[in-house]
Amino acid sequence: MLHTEDLSVSYGAVQALKSMNLAVPRGEVTAVIGANGAGKSTLMRTLAGLVRPQTGQVLLDGVSITGKKPEDIVRMGVALVPEGRSTIPELSLEENLRLGGLWRDKAGRMESQQKVFDLFPILAERKNMRADTLSGGERQQLAIGRALMSDPRCLLLDEPSLGLAPLIVTQILELVSRLAKETNIAVLLVEQNAVTALRVATTGVVLNLGEVVKAGPAQEISSDEELRHAYLGY
Amino acid sequence: MKTLRSFPGNRIVWHAIIVGVVWLLLLLLNNNIDPLYSAYLALVAMYATAMFGMTILVGLSGQVSLGNGALMAVGGYVFALTSMNWQTVPFFGWEWNAVWSMVFAGLGGVLIGGIIGGLAARLKGPYLAGLTLGVAVGVPAITNRFPELLGGENGLMLTVPYPAGGYAAMDAGGEIAGEADGDVVVDPGTDEGATGEDQQYAELDLTEFDQGNDSFAEGDLLTEGDLLTEENFDAGSDQFAEDDLLTEEDFGTGTDLGIDETAADPGGDAGGDAAGFDGAGQDESELAGGGLIDAFDSEFIIERWQASMAIAVACIVAFAALNLVRGRQGRVWKAVRDDPVAAAVVGISPSGSKVSAFVVSSLFAALAGAVFAQILSFIGPGAFGLGLSLSLLVGIVLGGRASLLGAIIGALLLVWLPELVDGLSGERGWPEQITNNAPNLLYGLLVVVVVLAAPGGITGTFKSWIDKAKGRGRATLS
Amino acid sequence: MTNFVDYLLGGFSNGAVIALMALAIVLVWRSTRMVNFAQVGQAMFTTYVALTVQQSSGSWVLALVVAMAAGLVLGIVVFFLVIRPVKNSDSTGAIIATFGVLIALQAGAGMIWGGDPQGFLTPVDNSGIEFAGRIWPISLYDILVLVVTAALVIGLTLLFTKTNLGLSMRAAAFNPEVARLSGVRVNRMLITGWAIAGATGAVGGVLIAPVSTISPNSFDILLVFAFTAAVIGGLDSLIGAVTFGIGTGLVISLVSGYSDSGNAPIVALVLLALNLLLKPDGVFGHHGARSV
Ligand SMILES: Nc1ncnc2c1ncn2[C@@H]1O[C@H](COP(=O)(O)OP(=O)(O)OP(=O)(O)O)[C@@H](O)[C@H]1O
Ligand SMILES: [Mg+2]
Repeated sequence: MLHTEDLSVSYGAVQALKSMNLAVPRGEVTAVIGANGAGKSTLMRTLAGLVRPQTGQVLLDGVSITGKKPEDIVRMGVALVPEGRSTIPELSLEENLRLGGLWRDKAGRMESQQKVFDLFPILAERKNMRADTLSGGERQQLAIGRALMSDPRCLLLDEPSLGLAPLIVTQILELVSRLAKETNIAVLLVEQNAVTALRVATTGVVLNLGEVVKAGPAQEISSDEELRHAYLGY
Repeated sequence: MKTLRSFPGNRIVWHAIIVGVVWLLLLLLNNNIDPLYSAYLALVAMYATAMFGMTILVGLSGQVSLGNGALMAVGGYVFALTSMNWQTVPFFGWEWNAVWSMVFAGLGGVLIGGIIGGLAARLKGPYLAGLTLGVAVGVPAITNRFPELLGGENGLMLTVPYPAGGYAAMDAGGEIAGEADGDVVVDPGTDEGATGEDQQYAELDLTEFDQGNDSFAEGDLLTEGDLLTEENFDAGSDQFAEDDLLTEEDFGTGTDLGIDETAADPGGDAGGDAAGFDGAGQDESELAGGGLIDAFDSEFIIERWQASMAIAVACIVAFAALNLVRGRQGRVWKAVRDDPVAAAVVGISPSGSKVSAFVVSSLFAALAGAVFAQILSFIGPGAFGLGLSLSLLVGIVLGGRASLLGAIIGALLLVWLPELVDGLSGERGWPEQITNNAPNLLYGLLVVVVVLAAPGGITGTFKSWIDKAKGRGRATLS
Repeated sequence: MTNFVDYLLGGFSNGAVIALMALAIVLVWRSTRMVNFAQVGQAMFTTYVALTVQQSSGSWVLALVVAMAAGLVLGIVVFFLVIRPVKNSDSTGAIIATFGVLIALQAGAGMIWGGDPQGFLTPVDNSGIEFAGRIWPISLYDILVLVVTAALVIGLTLLFTKTNLGLSMRAAAFNPEVARLSGVRVNRMLITGWAIAGATGAVGGVLIAPVSTISPNSFDILLVFAFTAAVIGGLDSLIGAVTFGIGTGLVISLVSGYSDSGNAPIVALVLLALNLLLKPDGVFGHHGARSV
């Protein structure tokens, strides 16, 4: 399980996360929702080690990973699929995947690759093509696949739906949810599209201006009218 | 001060005062030091002229260019060719003389600079640096392409059109102060080329100023200069001590040559109309003459003449640079350097801004090249190679990339450091191999250190110290 | 016609050396997105080291190996002392700093080894081969140069396409953040890039030295040619650097043959300018890489 204790992050004068406490249990999807600028990406980047927190801690199964470098954190089992373009178009699809677990032994890598291909069969078909020939949805699958190549205990997904058709979003998120249950990994999913996110998530967390305004079972949050009006804008 | 600055006209007057005072001080200095130091002074002024352009190009516009050495070559060759070949060609009713050659050198720089700039403005940093590197290496090579015209590898010996009055007053090359600098060549034959008109000029000067002041016998340069210096007397204010640029004065004060007198003389107080000019101008020239008269017997010292010529060009260029840098154009250059996209949004053309920086710096470089050619009495590809371009870059980085004062300090460093090393080497008996390379080794290392530790160079570092001190002062006050 | 063929043949070994220098520039570009204008200066310095080794040991192979090692070390030193502190904060400063390194290296070499051009002995005969009844403008040494260059290029290609280190380096170059998130130690990749570039340039220096003689400034012109080749190739492309490196060598040989070798820099300048004007992203480059 991944959890944070009093995590605070500021960029100069802007405080993007304020004393955040959060738990991401294994085997299920935890959805973080909130408006633009709420601090969702900052949270993800801090968990992955790209941003250093001013105070507080990040713990993975009780061990602190606070302040470690991203390249070490991913080795410890926390993999982030960052917002936006997170594949490398100049590399082939197979190279993009291979990149995700370069430090692992070959057997482990092959096993993970097989898992990814089972999950996203389209990637297997196009193995040798350059990543920039893929469609947006395929690219997102590739990005998730790359993260899975590290055999993570905890998978962080920052807005995988960005720029994708709703149908594809639902497909991908359902795959992710299945993956969480089947392989017992903790998934933290950031979404602006609250409805879809809360549908696949077990727990929902609402973020506003760097603070958790509400955390609870996903159904409870999606049915809370007031919350929806105040923070989610629908 | 704020309100003063909001009127562009007043700002120009201010700049004229600053430049005029510095010019005057430099002339006084020039006429009271050993001719050897005058030779150094000429070099410093020449480097400074070129480096004012580097301030604009590298500092303000953010374009790292190694092409300016080549543009100096352009200016130098245009000057050489026009002054040698067309000396007696009438031009719009004027006899050809050094000033016209200078103008054409500048035009040559603008033309070539515009071409390179038009290409370069489309390029990002490293591509630009690489292209201009190619220019630095390629353009001097062109001299080999036209050996008859440009003298090939050996270059051209150049008969510098000295001011006739001053020249006539001395006995050919014999009087050149003993510093056997092989590069200073005076050809008695020039005299004939220097046309009767020049002679008249000199005579005019003599009667008007009633002094045999050779250093002012530069014809057109003088009249241009008067315009600048006169303005400062019109403004007649003593506030300029506030201006950081006046630290340049330190350079001159050491010799204490009646600065107080100059500064205190308010002259005319009308706001810069033509009527006020004459009186003030008279004032000024008399003043200047008063300082200079003792230094000049009837003997002509070529180093002094070279220095006064180089100083004149440097001051005119400095005046133009000051107005550009501290005016609207300076802000445009900086805006494009810092954020071309944002600049484009507010209606500034980023490429236009970059080309203009190129053109201006090329103009300055070409003028400096023309001065260099006159100082050396020679022009050849060897003097204008990659090394010269690198020197300009070194000077500007050490002095302070975005500051005109930095350009001056950089120019001083370029001339002074090799002399320092030479002196040390003489004392300590270093082998030649060490002595010859020590300045460049220092330059290279200093450039790296400055970029890493003090990107603002000497002026930038001082400025941040002063800001800090001011900040602390305020904090304790409140 | 025989002239033309002869000039072309004569250009290959020079072209190979230009290709190596261009490769070094490209390797640095790929790792840190900057042009190391000191690259050829580093090569000059390591070539002097090689010269010293050759003079004392008499072994050309040893000299080459030592030069490569020295190039590796020098690349790392320059990266650590100069580039790493400045590269993110001040892109103009980074360019200027590489020129500072160039000036310092040239002066340093002048201090240690003097300014006079020195000769470098070739390990094999450097006069035209006699074959089929005539003397060809290619020597055994030229062939050695081509073989060494080819070996290096093939080695680098295999490194980049077939090994995990190569993949990590490419990822670090293209997208450092994704590389880090994938566990690549990006900083080490940058150093590796500079080190390999240093060694590649060092080989180029040792190969050209017997032909050009060596002095602190004798490689300046090579910098222009190599930069031209690298830029025309797209700065990102190893194949581009090699292709246009050799191409530049051939053009220069033709220009020198038909007119005068003094015109070579002008031709390089024209090629560079035309390329930047007409094909702003290089022949093998990606779109938008250069223009502002
Ligand atoms: N690198 C940065 N430097 C300065 N401020 C930043 C930086 N990154 C984010 N911020 C600020 O921190 C706050 C939170 O940003 P963050 O990217 O975490 O929001 P978000 O919830 O992911 O928004 P979105 O839904 O638009 O992706 C915003 O106010 C943002 O402007
Ligand atoms: Mg975000």
